[in-house]
Parts: sequence; structure tokens; C-alpha cells
Amino acid sequence: MAETMGHSATATRNTSVAIGFCLLAIAPQIFEFIWSIGTIFGWGTGRGPLQVVAGHTMALATSLQSFVLILSALPGAILGYLFSWPPGPTVKSTLSSDALLALIYSYPIFAVAILTLFMTIRSAQDYVGGIVLMALALFALWAGSDLQGMRGFSFGAGTAPRMFGGLLVALSAGIALTGLMTQGAAFAHYSWRGPLFVMAAILFFALAIRPLGVVVTAFVSFMIAATGSHETRWLEAAIVGACLTLGCAILFPYVLGLPMPMFPRFLIQ
Amino acid sequence: MDIFANLAHGFAVALTPINLLMCLIGALVGTLVGVLPGIGTIATVAMLLPITFGLPPVGALIMLAGIYYGAQYGGSTTSILVNIPGEATSVVTAIDGHQMAKQGRAGPALAIAAIGSFFAGCVATVLIALLGAPLTKLALAFGPAEYFSLMVLGLIFAVVLAKGSVLKAIAMIVFGLLLSMVGSDIETGASRMAFNIPELADGLGFATVAMGVFGFAEIIRNLDAGAEMNRDLVQQKITGLMPTRKDLKDSTPAILRGTVLGSILGILPGGGAVIASFAAYTLEKKLAKDPSRFGRGAIEGVAGPESANNAAAQTSFIPLLTLGIPPNAVMALMVGAMTIHGIVPGPQVMQKQPDLVWGMIASMWIGNLMLIIINLPLVGIWVRLLRVPYRLMFPSIVIFCAIGIYSVNNAPVDVILAGVFGLVGYWLIKHDFEPAPLLLGMVLGPLMEENLRRALLISRGDWSVFLTRPLSAVLLGVAAFLLVLTVLPALRAKRDEVFTESEN
Repeated sequence: MAETMGHSATATRNTSVAIGFCLLAIAPQIFEFIWSIGTIFGWGTGRGPLQVVAGHTMALATSLQSFVLILSALPGAILGYLFSWPPGPTVKSTLSSDALLALIYSYPIFAVAILTLFMTIRSAQDYVGGIVLMALALFALWAGSDLQGMRGFSFGAGTAPRMFGGLLVALSAGIALTGLMTQGAAFAHYSWRGPLFVMAAILFFALAIRPLGVVVTAFVSFMIAATGSHETRWLEAAIVGACLTLGCAILFPYVLGLPMPMFPRFLIQ
Repeated sequence: MDIFANLAHGFAVALTPINLLMCLIGALVGTLVGVLPGIGTIATVAMLLPITFGLPPVGALIMLAGIYYGAQYGGSTTSILVNIPGEATSVVTAIDGHQMAKQGRAGPALAIAAIGSFFAGCVATVLIALLGAPLTKLALAFGPAEYFSLMVLGLIFAVVLAKGSVLKAIAMIVFGLLLSMVGSDIETGASRMAFNIPELADGLGFATVAMGVFGFAEIIRNLDAGAEMNRDLVQQKITGLMPTRKDLKDSTPAILRGTVLGSILGILPGGGAVIASFAAYTLEKKLAKDPSRFGRGAIEGVAGPESANNAAAQTSFIPLLTLGIPPNAVMALMVGAMTIHGIVPGPQVMQKQPDLVWGMIASMWIGNLMLIIINLPLVGIWVRLLRVPYRLMFPSIVIFCAIGIYSVNNAPVDVILAGVFGLVGYWLIKHDFEPAPLLLGMVLGPLMEENLRRALLISRGDWSVFLTRPLSAVLLGVAAFLLVLTVLPALRAKRDEVFTESEN
């Protein structure tokens, strides 16, 4: 790919990959923010959007210093980790959950994003795959950071998750390195239409099955999913959808005896 | 002979009209659903699992066995006719089977697949009856350390025969292990990585993840622009259902070799049917006088792997019934079904519930017989079913999967989670990660953790226990040997030789 696109093209490509990683690094914070908007309308529980923004900004700002400290003491820290893994509860309890997220998840990914700018990516498929997997592992390490570690020689609740999480970080780093060292497949082409409409159909099904019942939900989900293909013919899809709905309405609640509402709740009442 | 008395007892249980009917319905429904492209054995069994809930335990398990074999055969029908392997075991069948179908020889291919499966099933049934009891004794010699090493070996098997990068396969297993940690801790009850979502307190459902990573992800990928070409149907009429004398002569040794190989590999936990089918294909290709015929419609390339995967599917009941270890994803679902009926698989089950165990073993043979009876005449109908255009097929599959997942726990959150795992699966496919090792890791994760904890507790924190106990050391040694063998470039070249064909 590098031969055909030239040096500058590779550079821009690297920049966009790095920006993608930066977004990935704050993805949990963004997700919590979007989620918290719901609390304004009284959906769900949790912190309000302002608290979320304030909390995470504070956490990101204050833990930068500790991250730099850890980085400067990295060799020592690695040794320390190996011998007293997982880190003792005294270190943990001084940091808030937000700060831990910044420290364990966001800053390492930011660091990788910056490093990406200076790398020649030989196989984008492997490199990006490895880094995203690493992000998942780091996120899991954060999610399990409140769990108890080893107590003497007996495993705590958090020991195995940390073991597997640490292993996955190492393995995914290996995959990312493979992407840097060996020539391989470029970034795969993603299409948006199929995933979008199939996901929309699944989401609609999940949200509507309780209040609206099998009949309405199955038919509407069928039509939403059918939108995902450009080959769809509407009349045909509607007829097949109706037949399928009828079949499901007979098969699942009656023949298989599954407890499922048939019709919308407001119609029955 | 004890064994034959037991088998006779089993047949007496399985041959009651009601259980025969269960088996027939299971095999029929399993085939019907398994033949749908995009729905493999795991999804079929997961979807049809709720049907068996209301039945008595023996009837339910017999029906489940029927569903399993039906689904497996349905899967190979799809691979041969439309080149969409619904599951990992039929990937190899698709290589030569679909080439035969293109040459208008779909009939012989389907027939040989059925005959090979039936023969392998018969042999494996006897083998289970013979080996079940001795292996139970072996199981009692297994402590936590041995169980742990055994599971490591199983996971390594999944790595060795996964296609592509070894590093990626191992990473997928560890990812699966990590996913299995979600939910309540078995010993302390602490909630792990559940984010206060009540539906996650019990952990991620296996069916949810499997349906997402295989079912939804496959659908999304098939919707990609340019994927249409791969979905072309064989529109030619299937002429001549039965194989010729030459076909039979060619495939007989292949069936025999496949059966032996499959029976052995099936007993090993973790490997099971997938490894067996790949290994049988490689063996056939090595032994053939003219290896270049493979990939161009060689009947041995259908007969060997199909017999091997059926034999392995059957013998993989041995570790399940005796050691209580699910050797693969489908077996894990079976354990789930057993638990629902109040049966805990393991060494005791043979003594405590002989009706159930022997009835099930006998029903496997009957299930195989049902399959050949159902499938040979019905091939024409399956083909017509496959002519349903994909634009109508995929929304139907989405709806069926959604209803299937919802019905397991009556939890809408499960459906959303399956959707999320669909996206994860799509991403995995795009980055050339294989989802099969992930599922295996997820299945074995809790068991591995439990045994690791127990082993270290007994040894008072001494990690060398895995090497000082002889059985455990042997198992780990075999695992290490296999891993080294895989990484060696010589074997890599041979692996690639097999797998380049599956790309075509």
C-alpha cells in the first residue's frame, strides 16, 4: 500500500488512526456522558451530565501527573507489579474510580495514539485489531480494579480477571507489533447499512417486545432489518414479514408454550 | 457382559414410542433449522433448547441429541449446496462438497455425507458404551490440578487447528476467558465487571454471545457490498441421488479412516468435531494418489471429514458424561439443559441415572438412523428451501434469533447484548480474528478458574503442583509440545496448504 499511496498519504492515514485511538481512549467517558443525559429526563440512575463532565475532567487533569510519574518510574513499576501483583489496596483506595479509569485506560491509549504517529504501519488490520483488543483488556482491568486481590495464597475475586486481563494486554501488544513488523492486510472495508439496520431491528425488538407484544414487534423488526439490504422489494418483504409474524405468533407462545405477550399492552387493558 | 446389558437397557428406554417420537421430532426440527444458512449447530441447539424444557428429563435429552445430530447434518447440507458453512465443522465439507454440487453431483455428495455420518455414528455409539465406564474411573483420578491442565490442553487444541495467526487465536481464547469472568464470583459472591446491571449478575449468557458472534455477525457480513457473489445458489437440478459404485469404492476407506480419527479426537476435551474434520481432510489429502483432485470435487474430501465430525460429535459425549467437562460449545449448552433438569454431569451420573445415560447413548444411534431416513428422501425439499432469496432470508433469521434469545431468560437486555456481540463479531471478522476459540475460552473460563483456585489452595499456593503431579505434567507437556509444533514453520507451511483451499 505504501508504494502506491506515497509517503504523505501514509502519514495522513497514521494521523487518522491516531485520532481514532484518542477517541477510543475517552470512549467510556463519552458513553457515560451520553448515558447521563437521560437522567435529566428521569431515565435511569447515576450522575447528572454536569457531574460526569466535571468528574472526568478533574480525573484526567489530576491523574496526568501520576501517569507521568509512573511512566518515569516504569521499569521499577513493572518489577513492583510482578512481585506484588495486584497492587496493594492502599494505593487503590486513595484514587477515585474516575482517576483510575484515566490512569489505567485513557492515558495508556493516548500514549499509544501518540506513538502511532511515528510508526510505519505495515498491516493496519493487525495493528488496529491489536490496539483495540488491548483497549478492551485495559478497560476490563479498570472494571475489575475494585475487586479484592490475593489473600495469602488464596485467590480473591479479582485475581483471575487481572491475570487474564494482563495476559490479554501482552498478547494484543504482540498482535499490534506483528502489524508493525510484517507486511499484511490493509484496513478492511466496513459497510454501514447492514450493521445499522440489523442493529436497529434488534434494538427495537428488545425495547418493544414487553410493551407491544410479539405481533407488532416481529413485523416491525422484520421490516427494519429488511431495510438493511438494497436488494429488498417492499411489497414482497411486507407479505413475507406478515406470514413470518403469523408463524411466530402461533409457534412460540402456543406450540412451544413460551410466556410472551401477543398484543400491545394498551389494547388489552 | 455388563456393557451389552447396559446397552440393551438403554435401547429399552430409548425405544419406547414416546421417546422414539421425541427423537424423530428432534432430528427433523434440528435438520430443518440447521439447514438454514447462517444458523449453525450452536444457534440451532440454543434456539430449540426451550422446546425441551417442558419434557421429562430423559425425553428432553433424547430430543436434544436428535436436534444436535439434525442440526449438524443440516449444516453440512447447507455447505454442500450453497457453500455457506453454518458452523466450523462443515467448513471442510464445503471445500469439495460444493465443487461436487457445481458439477451436478450434489446428490452423491449429500448421500455420502449421510452414509458416512451414519456409519461413524454406529461405531462411535459402541465406543461410548465400551469406554464410558473405564473413563469414569479415570475421571476419579483427576484432581483440580489435572482438570486445569486438561483444559489448557483443550484450549491449545483449539489454537493448533484454528486457521491463521496463532497469536490471534490465543488472544481470542484469553478474551473469551475474560468475558467469562463477568458476573458473580463463584466463591466470594462479589460482583465482577457487571456495572450494576442486574442481568449481568449471572454472567454473560453463552447463547447470547454465541448468537451474536456467529448469527448476527454472519448476517451483517453477508450484507456487505460484494458479498452477494458468495451467496449464489446452485440452481442446477440435483440429478441422481445415489452415489455410483465407483463413488462407494472411493469413499469406503475414507469413511473408515475418518471414523477412527474422529472417535479418538472427539474424546479429547476442547478439540472435538472441528479438529476432527480438519484432521481427516488433511489425512485424506496426504494418502491420496493424486492430491490435486482435492478442492476440485473429490468425494473422499466429503466422506472423510463428514464421518470424522460425526464420530467426534458422538464421542465428545464421553468427556461430558464422565468428566462433566463440556468439550465444545454445543456440549456446554447440553450441560445447561441437563442442569435445568436437575442433572449434574460428572462421574456420578453414570451410577445415579443409568436410565438417562444409557437411554441417551442408545438414542444417539437411533438419532443417526432417523437422520438417514429423513434426509435422503428430503434433500429435494431442503434445496427448495435454500432457493429463498437472501433478502427475505436474513430478516427472518434476525427475528428468529431475537425471539430465541429473548425466550431463554425473558430478558430484553439479553437481546441487546447479543446485538452488541454481533457488532463485536463483525469487527472480529474484519480484523481476521476467529470467534470459535473465543467461545471455547468463554465456556471453559469458569471451570478453569475454579480448578486453578482449588489446586493452589490445596497446594498452599505452590504453583509447581501442575508439574509435580504426573498426570497433570503429561497433559501440560502434550499441550506445550503441540504449541511448539504449531509455531514451527515447517508445520505452518502444511497448515497453510490445507487452509488456502478453504478460502476459495
